[in-house]
Amino acid sequence: MSSIDPRINRLDLPTNEDGKNVLDELEQWETYEVFHQKKRGDQHVHVGIVHSANPELALIMAKETFGRRRQTANLWVVKSSAVTASDYEDQDIFETTPEKTYREASDYYCMDRIRKYQQEHGIKDRKEDRRKKKDLDNKEPVKKETAE
Amino acid sequence: MYGNAQIDSKDKAKSLTDGEDPIKLAEFEARITRGEKIEPKDWMPAAYRKQLIRMIEQHAHSEIIGALPEGTWITRAPGFRRKLALMAKVQDEVGHAQLLYSAAETLGKTREDMINDLINGKSKYSNVFNYPAMTWADTAIIAWLIDAGAIINQVTNSKGSYGPYCRALERICSEESFHLKYGHDNVVFLATGTAQQREMVQDALNRWWIPIMHFHGPPDKVSQHTEVLMKWKVKMATNDDMRYRFLDEYVPKIWDLGLTIPDPNLKKNETTGVWEYTEPDWEEFKRVINGDGPCNKERLQVRRWAEEKGAWVRRALLKAESKYTIPLA
Amino acid sequence: MNYNETQIKAVKEFLYKIADDQLIIGHRNSEWTGLGPLVEEDIAFSSIAQDKIGQAQHIYEILHSLGEADADTIAFTRNAAAFKSCHLVELPIGEYDFSLMRNFLFNHAEQIRFDMLANSGLEPLAKLAKKYRGEVKYHTMHANTWVRQLGKANEESHARMQTALNDTFNLALGIFEESEFADILKDLNIFPGEKVLQYKWIEAITPLLEQSMLVLPESSAWQPVYGGRKGFHTEYLEPMLEEMGEVFRLDPKAEW
Repeated sequence: MSSIDPRINRLDLPTNEDGKNVLDELEQWETYEVFHQKKRGDQHVHVGIVHSANPELALIMAKETFGRRRQTANLWVVKSSAVTASDYEDQDIFETTPEKTYREASDYYCMDRIRKYQQEHGIKDRKEDRRKKKDLDNKEPVKKETAE
Repeated sequence: MYGNAQIDSKDKAKSLTDGEDPIKLAEFEARITRGEKIEPKDWMPAAYRKQLIRMIEQHAHSEIIGALPEGTWITRAPGFRRKLALMAKVQDEVGHAQLLYSAAETLGKTREDMINDLINGKSKYSNVFNYPAMTWADTAIIAWLIDAGAIINQVTNSKGSYGPYCRALERICSEESFHLKYGHDNVVFLATGTAQQREMVQDALNRWWIPIMHFHGPPDKVSQHTEVLMKWKVKMATNDDMRYRFLDEYVPKIWDLGLTIPDPNLKKNETTGVWEYTEPDWEEFKRVINGDGPCNKERLQVRRWAEEKGAWVRRALLKAESKYTIPLA
Repeated sequence: MNYNETQIKAVKEFLYKIADDQLIIGHRNSEWTGLGPLVEEDIAFSSIAQDKIGQAQHIYEILHSLGEADADTIAFTRNAAAFKSCHLVELPIGEYDFSLMRNFLFNHAEQIRFDMLANSGLEPLAKLAKKYRGEVKYHTMHANTWVRQLGKANEESHARMQTALNDTFNLALGIFEESEFADILKDLNIFPGEKVLQYKWIEAITPLLEQSMLVLPESSAWQPVYGGRKGFHTEYLEPMLEEMGEVFRLDPKAEW
């Protein structure tokens, strides 16, 4: 058979088409999960898998598949079988109830209480001065403009 | 690079949901309706799994077989810039096969099984790759217009429901944008070049127009199956929808270059906004996809060569204690 | 650079030799696209090919700045006799064992050459050697990893790799065919010479081959295959170049 591809013509192409499987089970080895760090200081992020016979080769494969077209500082490879994952069926265990506002910073607001206490006990409100100064600063340029 | 999801005509099942647990099915469908993704270990209807494996596997095969018609020209590409770009482009296609095989594996079919089915002809790949790339200009047309068709398809499918496939497609789409630009640049150089170059690119367009029109598959028959697969976000648009999108975006760009599209009936109906064209020969499409195309035999033989000649390498490194685990995501 | 005519001739010959090797082996590696033993490795061969062809282009550009034709013309229009590549890089890809062993032997020579050139008195060349250090390092890392694995994996793979080494070794010695201008390059502090490179190369590959359980042929049996540097080539180069320039030469005036 002659191909229009000279490269293919140089190969000794097989002619048998017996329908038998060419590949055996596990012939493409095991899978490794690949974690990619874009630059130093970033998290390693899961990006996919490679097929490899061992970790050393898996790194070479990962470099090609996931480091080829993007900036890369570091790669991890982990055998897929070594990963223990939580079950999506149990995703509800991560759900939070709206009552758990005590874990949010925004839930803590006690200035009213402080001011009330200060007024009752004659303690000066530090922030009041600062607020007044700010108001003045903001007004000054406006005054200048009108003066001109 | 790939055509749209095809409904398996041999699938005689009355309904895709026969025998499924109605409660689980309802939860599954509700998740998809909410716009959430399905992940590998989630419960899913058998028909969903089957259709996705079939679709992703065919997509993966299309990438690896698709590397051949263009790969043909790597050793002949004119000049460093084109040679390097073509190498990178075809390399990306092989990389896409890697990503897609991995996505399909999460559904429970091993890469070995997929490749065996490809070589034995049990599993299909995009029909366009059964046509030869006769001249350098063919590679330009492929890189521009076939990739354009593929991008329309892939962007659409990346909004589908299966997480691993969507993730693979997003990555693939970001790489394909270079392919499209490279292909367009290549066609522009030929179309605006010497008389000989222009003739080359017009000839290539003539050769590739029918395969391009075939690319997104025959008009869908309205069936219950189609409806269910669209509800499950396996099939995201009809084949004709994809084709219209392609024509809408690219026909004007082809005409911009003064090239002639070999279909005198091709025009956009100004009142309806719909593209009108001569229906391509769908019998030819069927004939070629079933093995009787100009290059089917060679493509599979080359794939077989690669697998057979590489077998000693893979077997040498296989350890007795190796155990296959389905990848996580 | 205030070089005299002979010195410029020496520099040009030296640059052609390096670039031609890179171009030809890169081209051969690119033939693996779609044919690799698994998809991940297919991608690797293409990356290595792209790196090498890119490096060749860069060196041809330096030659262009020295008055030679532009890079495309140099690469795509010369005939075989004008090429200075060694025979090792010209041979067809064979099977994976041959291509891998060829890469292993070539890449180590290349890495050491680039290390030496990083201190070269020819500044653009020194810059280039530093620029591509990472690429070249990866190429040897890739080859080392594979050769180590296959050399000792099983009987078949060991036998194949040993045969590949036996088949390629004398060809690889051809990399170090000395130039008639060697002394000039040494005096100009451009390159210390092929003998130094060969010595360092043997030092580098010996322990790696030992780790791979592969045996270097006895030095008494070493028969370097020379001729490439003088324009005498294998039967494979001319058809390869015709194929490479097929489209480019359709119309030399055309822009592709």
